[in-house]
Amino acid sequence: MADQVLPGEIVVAPTSADDDVLRVEHLAKRFGPVTALRDVSLHLKKGEVLGLLGDNGAGKSTLVKTICGFQKQDSGQMWLHGEAYEPKSVEQARALGVDVVYQDLALIDELSVYQNMFLCREERMPRLPLLDRRRMKRDAREALNEIGINLPRLDVPVARLSGGQRQAIAVARGVYSQADILLLDEPLAAMGAKEGAMILELIARLKQEGKISIIMILHNYVHVLESCDRVNMIVDGVIAMDKPTAETSVEELTAIVVDEYRRAREAAQAEEAAARA
Amino acid sequence: MTGTADSDVSEAEPAGGSAQTRGAPRALAGAWLLVKRFLTMREGSITIVTIALAIYFGLSLPVFFSVANLQTLLTYFAWLGILAAGEVFLMINGEIDLSIGGVYLFAPLVFYEVVGGGIPFVPSVIITLIVCMVIGLVNGIVTAVLGVNSFITTLGTLFTLEGMTLIISHAEQLIMPGSANTNTTTGATELGTFGNIFGAGTYSELVWALVIVVILQIVLTRTRWGLHTIAVGSNKVAAAEAGVKVRLVVIRNFMVCSTLAGLVGVLEAMRSSSITPDPGAANSVLLDAIAAAVIGGTLLAGGSGTVVGALIGALFLGMLQDGLAIKGVNADYLDFYLGIAILIAMLINVYVGRTRRRSGVG
Repeated sequence: MADQVLPGEIVVAPTSADDDVLRVEHLAKRFGPVTALRDVSLHLKKGEVLGLLGDNGAGKSTLVKTICGFQKQDSGQMWLHGEAYEPKSVEQARALGVDVVYQDLALIDELSVYQNMFLCREERMPRLPLLDRRRMKRDAREALNEIGINLPRLDVPVARLSGGQRQAIAVARGVYSQADILLLDEPLAAMGAKEGAMILELIARLKQEGKISIIMILHNYVHVLESCDRVNMIVDGVIAMDKPTAETSVEELTAIVVDEYRRAREAAQAEEAAARA
Repeated sequence: MTGTADSDVSEAEPAGGSAQTRGAPRALAGAWLLVKRFLTMREGSITIVTIALAIYFGLSLPVFFSVANLQTLLTYFAWLGILAAGEVFLMINGEIDLSIGGVYLFAPLVFYEVVGGGIPFVPSVIITLIVCMVIGLVNGIVTAVLGVNSFITTLGTLFTLEGMTLIISHAEQLIMPGSANTNTTTGATELGTFGNIFGAGTYSELVWALVIVVILQIVLTRTRWGLHTIAVGSNKVAAAEAGVKVRLVVIRNFMVCSTLAGLVGVLEAMRSSSITPDPGAANSVLLDAIAAAVIGGTLLAGGSGTVVGALIGALFLGMLQDGLAIKGVNADYLDFYLGIAILIAMLINVYVGRTRRRSGVG
């Protein structure tokens, strides 16, 4: 499978440049019998927004969870700012400037808005092990205002908020974290059109500032073309395409996916035929 | 985790427009709001029920509020409050510790043996508590690292410790070192400062209970530790994704719970001057502690709870026992009333929880 010729521009090992903030080479990860990542290589330039596309189960979330330190790869290597990068925990990755907004948002229903925003990066009183609730509330308010999300109260449990509001809190948490590499796994999933536009606007603003580099998993091609500099497509655990968004189109991306479905169907039929014979 | 003051404002606002014309109803509504807010506090319902119980016993039993009886009451609830406070931390964490019964039984025996080895009281009690902490560490590692359900883990350690206590003590009652003993030559009863501090003094257990509950309530609501405990109990996966060290949090809470159980074992043995290796009594102590935590408003499901509530829950159970004893109610009825009280308290908690979510009181 791995040496099979796939459509589009195949980039097995990315041509990496000096200004790459993150480089991932030959990453592989299995969960028991399931191969989530076969051989993934990608790179991220400073200030770039990289869109990551791929079918359900293609390995996008696994890739993100490996980069952010939540789980460890079976093989392959990562480099951060040109140095070997082997995060042992989410906290360590965060300390190195890599933060993530998970697809499931990683929010705690019982905790309030500001407690969630500061979970694992709590602000404490000077010289006391006590939480500085006032400061956290104020900073949370500031971060949410920056995104343009207006919540009347920050001390209510997040269980009572709408899907879009929860998503906004998760995104605000990631953006506020001062990371220089931000991984966003489906940041628009639970959002209405208006809230989604707000998040895309925020990403555009971050891109303009140029301080932060972003890898963003999306499923809407229009969003990818609109907000990303470059697009990578994962097919079956490998990067099957790597192109600047300016050089691709909805039609091309669609064609790749249609082609992939055709192959999968043919493979299944061949298997069935083999089983019969 | 209960609502903060600023929530009144947003809820009172709708009435604000016609304040002048409808002054009285508005004040009434405000008062009702306060009552509702108090009732929907996690500790609110049990506080009301406890006060009602105190009033009932106070009116029907003239001796109930006498100093002598209040001192008796302390022996019913203070130590239970400490046990329940530790258990609350684990229950919020989404775990349970049944081994506190075993630790409670085992700790004074450890103390006895260490003192018997010629070590002074203070280092002995420290060694005892460290042993208990290690038991908690084992519970924590077996549960959080090896993945055994905490109910099963601690059921195992409960029986193990109770068995060890019986084996080591030969199931014989022992005199607690440092407690009030009658001097064989002079015939006078002697009790040192150590004994007074560690359980034998009249208010010793109360002071321990208040200090521990206040500290643990602050830890729960104002520190990173507490926040992470709630996070793990509410959603383990999300907590791990956010970077919470789930295993460490669980292990730490097991260690605290176990240490407190050991302390209570020492305090109670000191108070009663004897070490009684009776697993039956220890199991009932364990169940009382869980009952106090649950009645106090802590959910078994994890993610929410209150240490102060556990102390009030313990006070409620203590008052029930004490009051019924003075009333001369047959001891056989005690468990019956206790069971009914737990069921009613849980029904109220479920109802209050629903109301809290609906009314928007954090």
